Amino acid sequence: MGSDVASVRKPGGGKGADAGATFWGRLVRWGPYSALLSLIFTSPRRQFVILAAFPILWVLTQHLGPMLQMLRVSLTDSYPVAQGTDTQFTLDNYVRFFGDRIFWMPFFRTLTFAAVFTLTTLIITYPVAYFLARHVSRKNQLLMLLLLLIPFWVGEIVRTYAIMILLGNNGAVNLALRSLGLIDRPIPFMYTSFSMGVGIVYLTALYMLLPLYSALEKLPKSYTEAAADLGAGAWTRFRRVTLPLSLEGISSGCILVFLISTGFYATPVLLGGPSTTVFAETIAGFFHVAGDEWPTGAAFATIMFVAALLLTGIFQKLMNALRKGDTR
Amino acid sequence: MTRGTRIFLSCIYWAFVLYVFVPLILMVVMGFKDSKFIGFPIRSWTLDWYLGVFEDAEVVSVFVYSVAIAVFSTLISVIVGTWIAVLLEGRKFWGRAAVFGLTILPALVPGIISAIAFRIYARLLGIEPGMFAIIWAHAVHNVPFVALVVMARLSTLPKSQTEAARDLGADPLVAFMRITLPYLVPAIMGASIFCLLLSFDDFVRSFFLGSYEPTLPVLIFAMLRSGMSPEINAIATVALVLTAVLGVWAERYMRRMNKETGR
Repeated sequence: MGSDVASVRKPGGGKGADAGATFWGRLVRWGPYSALLSLIFTSPRRQFVILAAFPILWVLTQHLGPMLQMLRVSLTDSYPVAQGTDTQFTLDNYVRFFGDRIFWMPFFRTLTFAAVFTLTTLIITYPVAYFLARHVSRKNQLLMLLLLLIPFWVGEIVRTYAIMILLGNNGAVNLALRSLGLIDRPIPFMYTSFSMGVGIVYLTALYMLLPLYSALEKLPKSYTEAAADLGAGAWTRFRRVTLPLSLEGISSGCILVFLISTGFYATPVLLGGPSTTVFAETIAGFFHVAGDEWPTGAAFATIMFVAALLLTGIFQKLMNALRKGDTR
Repeated sequence: MTRGTRIFLSCIYWAFVLYVFVPLILMVVMGFKDSKFIGFPIRSWTLDWYLGVFEDAEVVSVFVYSVAIAVFSTLISVIVGTWIAVLLEGRKFWGRAAVFGLTILPALVPGIISAIAFRIYARLLGIEPGMFAIIWAHAVHNVPFVALVVMARLSTLPKSQTEAARDLGADPLVAFMRITLPYLVPAIMGASIFCLLLSFDDFVRSFFLGSYEPTLPVLIFAMLRSGMSPEINAIATVALVLTAVLGVWAERYMRRMNKETGR
């Protein structure tokens, strides 16, 4: 960076003399460097290939590769391959999923939970986002949003543990209820779908809040004012103007939260119980035991991913149709 | 808007603030409890659990291990993510949409599926579970975030600046190093801190790709499975303070940078 300072201090100097004084100037005029460059950058096309080769190779091998390999393993009968044997192509791993209740029950439970938790998150965060975007002055908006962001920098496990302390039999909620004389013995919140829901909503709320906030913040105040001038009441203004125009934020927030909620593993393990086993735990089970269960685990993970993508895809289509219908 | 609605909405906001803060505050407070058992009420207080964190050699080494993983994975993510962003931003080429889609793919794959896919792929690549495997998985997972942040920043760089540099005789490489890269520094800084936090906080990938040596979230998870104790509160609080301070600082830094460039 020293060379930067040097070049800044001498503005307006002759191009040749000045450029030569800096590191970059010397580099450009250094024979081997320019020879190398003229060898590489012979044409814009060549230049593009050099720029594009690494990123394209990276996304194919590192981003797409793991998913494809998972798909491939899910279609084999054993993995890792034992020495001296061949793997056979098979669909058994997928068939196995439908054959047993202990497999597809957690699957449907996960999707239902994820949908319910997503809706809950939406209902909780919408008024918050609405308040911040529409009722708070510009300057305070950022401060109040920043305040909400602080807890969300804290990791998944730490926040899950915090919920355990909140909801335990000797937890804060039970203590408060008991000291108010509302209950005699603690309510067993923990290890139920309720404690899991509280935890997952806690973990995902930000991913709903931010898209909602940015959608509502973009909405010009004049729209609702115009509706008010035309005689629309508060509820009508919200239902006919604000809500339809924030559908984009609702849709992206819901998709994000749904995808994230289906992927939680540690939170259901710590906050849930035997009756709330989610599919992530089922999948993980195949990787804790001997290696030959990997293909089944891979198949189940593939089923989960495809189902999550399909559902979010359908949801997005519906939301788009809804938006078009409303703006007509 | 009526006064009543406004008051009602502000109540909801502050209730939400309580919801997100109270669990963490309780956790911090519980670390001061002078008893082995987690639960209220707290009758006597102690600093021992917090002091114990810094004296426990195992916990300290787990901290160092987690930070090392975060730093190395961030370095990789930042380089790759920036490179991808420079390729994608403001360029039209055949297959650009596909490359963009693949770039953000790791951010969309639900946690457990991503961890499983990385575990299987690590076997294919011959990477043993352990530090290197975790660094690799975190690096790949965090690339999309870097790419998106850098692309957003890059889209505000006036094209005339790099063109001027080229007119003055700079080759593409020098133009990038002298014009584009310095302009991207704030975005790269912000993205780095975001990656550091994502990696430091990550559980599911570290859990499935780790060997016997745990990262901090994996250690806390393992301790929790064998029972709650104020020791865990103290460890978790140290992690909490570290991540929250870094996060808030990054947030402010990014905001100031956006203001300076008039966005």
